Amino acid sequence: MIPISVRFEPRERLSRWTNVWVPFFAIVLALVIAGIVLAVSGHNPITTYQQIIEAAFTQPGAFTQTLVSTTPLLYTGLAASIAFRMRIWNIGAEGQLYLGSIAAAGVGLYLQNLPAPVVVIAMMAGGAVAGSLWAAIPGALRAYLNTNEILTSLFLNYIADYLMYYLIFDSTSFWRDLTSPAARVFPQGKFLPASGNWPALSIGSVTVPLGLILAIVLAGLLWGMIRGTRYGFEMRVMGDAPRAAKHAGMNIRRKILSIMLLSGAVAGLGGASQVGDFRHVLDPRGLEQAQFGYTGIVVAALARYNPISAVVAALGIGVLTNAGLALQGPNFPIGLTGTMEGILLFCVLGSEIFVRYRLRIGRTSGPVAPRRAEAAPGPARTAAEIASTERRELAS
Amino acid sequence: MSGINANLGISIIVSAILYGTPLLFAGLGELFAERSGILNLGVEGMMLMGAVSAFWTSQKMSGPSWLVLLVAVLAGALAGALMSLIHAFLSITLRANQIVSGLTLTIFAGLIGMSSYLGSVLSLGDQAGRHSFSDINLFGLKDVPIVGPILFHESALVYASWLFVILSLVYLYRTRTGLHLRAVGESPRAADAMGVNVTRYRYIHTLLGGALAGVGGAMFTLQIATNWIDGLTAGAGWIAIALVIFAFWRPDLLLVGAYLFGAFLGLGYDLQARGFTAIPTEFWSALPFIMTIVALVVASTGSMRRRLGAPAALGLPYAREEG
Amino acid sequence: MTDATPEAPSLALAARSVTKRFRGVVANDRVDFEVAAGEVHALLGENGAGKTTLCNVLTGLYRPEEGYVEVGGRPVRMHSPHDAHEAGIFMVHQQFRLVQSLSVAENVVLGWSRHGGTWFAPRRVEREVAALAEQYRMDIAPQAKIWQLSVGEQQRVEILKALYRGARILIMDEPTAVLTPQEVDQLVGTLREMARSGSAVVFISHKLPEVLAVSDRITVLRAGRTMGTVGTASTTARELAHMMVGRDVVFAGGPGSHEVGGTVVLELEAVSAESDLGTPALVDVALAVRSGEILGIAGVAGNGQRELAEVIAGERARTAGRVVIDGKTQEGKPWEAIAAGLGYVPEDRMGVGVAPGLSIADNLRLKSYRRNGLILHNKKAMADAEELIRRFDIVARGPRTLARELSGGNLQKLIVGRELSSAAKVLVVSSPTRGLDVGATESVRRLLSESARSGVGGVLISEALGGVFELSDRIAVLYRGRVTGLVDRKDADVDHIGLMMAGQAAA
Repeated sequence: MIPISVRFEPRERLSRWTNVWVPFFAIVLALVIAGIVLAVSGHNPITTYQQIIEAAFTQPGAFTQTLVSTTPLLYTGLAASIAFRMRIWNIGAEGQLYLGSIAAAGVGLYLQNLPAPVVVIAMMAGGAVAGSLWAAIPGALRAYLNTNEILTSLFLNYIADYLMYYLIFDSTSFWRDLTSPAARVFPQGKFLPASGNWPALSIGSVTVPLGLILAIVLAGLLWGMIRGTRYGFEMRVMGDAPRAAKHAGMNIRRKILSIMLLSGAVAGLGGASQVGDFRHVLDPRGLEQAQFGYTGIVVAALARYNPISAVVAALGIGVLTNAGLALQGPNFPIGLTGTMEGILLFCVLGSEIFVRYRLRIGRTSGPVAPRRAEAAPGPARTAAEIASTERRELAS
Repeated sequence: MSGINANLGISIIVSAILYGTPLLFAGLGELFAERSGILNLGVEGMMLMGAVSAFWTSQKMSGPSWLVLLVAVLAGALAGALMSLIHAFLSITLRANQIVSGLTLTIFAGLIGMSSYLGSVLSLGDQAGRHSFSDINLFGLKDVPIVGPILFHESALVYASWLFVILSLVYLYRTRTGLHLRAVGESPRAADAMGVNVTRYRYIHTLLGGALAGVGGAMFTLQIATNWIDGLTAGAGWIAIALVIFAFWRPDLLLVGAYLFGAFLGLGYDLQARGFTAIPTEFWSALPFIMTIVALVVASTGSMRRRLGAPAALGLPYAREEG
Repeated sequence: MTDATPEAPSLALAARSVTKRFRGVVANDRVDFEVAAGEVHALLGENGAGKTTLCNVLTGLYRPEEGYVEVGGRPVRMHSPHDAHEAGIFMVHQQFRLVQSLSVAENVVLGWSRHGGTWFAPRRVEREVAALAEQYRMDIAPQAKIWQLSVGEQQRVEILKALYRGARILIMDEPTAVLTPQEVDQLVGTLREMARSGSAVVFISHKLPEVLAVSDRITVLRAGRTMGTVGTASTTARELAHMMVGRDVVFAGGPGSHEVGGTVVLELEAVSAESDLGTPALVDVALAVRSGEILGIAGVAGNGQRELAEVIAGERARTAGRVVIDGKTQEGKPWEAIAAGLGYVPEDRMGVGVAPGLSIADNLRLKSYRRNGLILHNKKAMADAEELIRRFDIVARGPRTLARELSGGNLQKLIVGRELSSAAKVLVVSSPTRGLDVGATESVRRLLSESARSGVGGVLISEALGGVFELSDRIAVLYRGRVTGLVDRKDADVDHIGLMMAGQAAA
């Protein structure tokens, strides 16, 4: 028995440097692990990474496509960030985005004869409201009946999915194209006329969708809100210590509900952007396959729930998602996207402990030979930290 | 007339058992993990990995059907356990947030993740299953009215799930390790103080949870669907997690819940098969999820009972206080 | 081991020159400590003197930087409490290590069973535990769940755990703090019984009378060092007090040094409330506090103190009655109480009093952030925080330091300072000095008495009767959720209050 102890010791000071190098090494580690997975499954990792970069940046029109993938992920990433930051686990961005799409398509079709700016703004409003209302269900249940919002918001994704399918595939709804004979055999939605197509900004050869600009503005606003407003202060306190928030006189239930509404509105806007910026139709199959809502959780977690960092994280995951779409086929099956996202997030999550703790490996010292075999290499933490974490977790 | 009704009733129960059994396996697995204090939201991903691994094994392996199926189920269990090992390492050793880690596992292994990747790398998508579990006429009692087709004409997986429920009850309430497990999820500090190795209990039961989820997934590819399509569990893993809550973390109630939700899952297929199309299929598909939300709401209003059922340390990392 | 004679009983447990540091703070400085078999040995010292640290070293929870532990005369090295159990050492912590949802019997056999093996038979274990409890004259139902038990009963379960494992050395950390006098008597009986049968009992306390009544010998710790060991029969309370404190602690202010104003700033009329478990916790409580007055609330823990503080602060719903703060009738919302001028220092500092992951500056504006409208003034908050850090003497690198990085004393200064700086009319303080060292205790007490002098009406809820006597103008006693007595400090008598705390006497 070699007397070696491996344990985590709290860092006495939290340095800003560890905040930089820990995630950096996590990403490098993720690339190495993903490379191994690629190699084992018969792909050359270097070639694959090259292909990803080419498909994302260097090929003609590639960056425009990357931005197309980034836009929805930024919305869902922001939606998850603000909720998760408060330890409200809104897993429902997926369904809230679907509802946003349904509403935006409906509004766009219904108001199609109005001037374009009016239609565009109405679509945004419709998407945000619909997403918000869909999120209100788990929000209210959590706030007033203490029902687990993780599961309710998640099940509502499935329900929203079936609702979308019903509207296009199994009914004669307002959204469905019933005019052409082909559309009766292969059901599809009605396409929006030009008034419902959101304008885009062209910078050189790159097209920046309106939805992306709006999302970046939104990220800035949310960041400012968290940092500089009373509401944001309450968010930070509640996210850190709900009992301290109660002690400070904050209305926790109303806060939970309002944060869910906000989160749902952001996701719903993402759904509106899908219809207005890109698809111009309610496209259940496409939205379902894209899994924007779930991927938004990856974006949020990578960004540590910071809205500004979410812009960067969304771009990174956008690159990966874009590769999945552009390289689709035997060289880059769709499943690789989620696999690589998972590896990346696992590495970043696992590395977080090194920001607050240092790993101590060493011989245990003492004057006397051990009476028993060395036991229990256990990590260390102060009682106060344990207590505060427990409280935080309990309340969520 | 009554004969037809009885037949309908029996066929609903039979399909409830069929669709409920994967929920039961996965739910039991989650129950063990949660009893040890580890919330694993990656059940859906683990089930899909179990499903794809089991299917691949059954397609590749040659030998007598029973042996192939047995090995395939074990392969599914192994795949599920390996997935849960990632979650265990992150949440137990590295003290990562269990909710985020579990969700990551679902993304990593799920619909657009590893299971789909394996399915396409191994080109399983267009293969018809070579082996599948069939119903066994136990003790030759299958033709006994009513109970025969329900209790004595099931697949080996269903019989195994019943055995598992009984074993789980004995394990939890009549063995010392079961007692320690209950203590670890409730108060790791108290258990640690009495010499119970919290870390080891958590690892073992999280892995057991993954293995059982893998078995639940395997049932999809080896009995229910007998082929592989991306995301074929279609939310069963999430329903299993919800079931653990309504079952107040008890295996016996879990059995009841699993069959109830199995019935909801099966109902849509049955009614469609019988040409009942007055209500759109999407409604039937969404029904289990709607009912799960309703059940969650009901369970949360009985908050006192729930508080007594939920392991108090669920979702919390544990580190011994030492100097 | 040499032969044991009656004059020199065999050594059960010893610490040899043990040193233990935390983040540079020396908690134990070359501490020597010896306990003989068959004795009840008191470890006496003020809060923060290093008693608990020493016991954690003795039970394997902490590893000493220097020095070592001997069991039965032989040096041992322990890496976990489990190692200590194997060596026959068992500690009952202030916060019990019990599993709430399990039964008494299940808790007792947790981790180790006489029978070993795979199986767990509840009935057999319950019979064993019942027999053991009877042997030591403990009154307990083995099949009861822990959450159904009173604190005193839970403590008995902890002792049963030790007895079941055949512990030869039992360490009890402040065991009487949570007990009624009757329960204390029963505990003392059990401990004496253990000592008679040859076990060693270490009894940690900072209460002189109780130590004199219970122990055979006493070791005094002060500021992490051993001040000496004396035989109980040959010492006096005066000598012990001197060893313990080393100087006369003078608290600034104190009762009588300030004027009690005329206006009633806090009034409770027939207030009732329930505990978390839904049982009645407060029954018909009526109290009034005038400006400049400190009302002490004495009582054994768990008699409604926590609920009383929370009801006043609006953090707990009341089932009946009225609360009026500075003339404003309360509907029972925390923000309403804050707006009416209530300052509240909760029992739990980390997680309730402060948000640990937020900066000192953010925590200092936790009660006042509403005043500036919807937008925060971050620069002003920084400047305010720097000023408060200076004014309340909080030791920290700066306003951006996270609250979780602060020591207990500085944390409490932050909380008390924050509550006082927000122009409070009424200040409710729960166990303000629990776990603080002597210096921090003094500064917190000084802050409290200064606040009274400046006209704030105070409610001081504490189990430490000494502190209550020191600071209060009047003392109310809570027993089973009722106010069983209300006396002026100058007419108060410790023994009488003690009886009232036990429900044995009226005012």
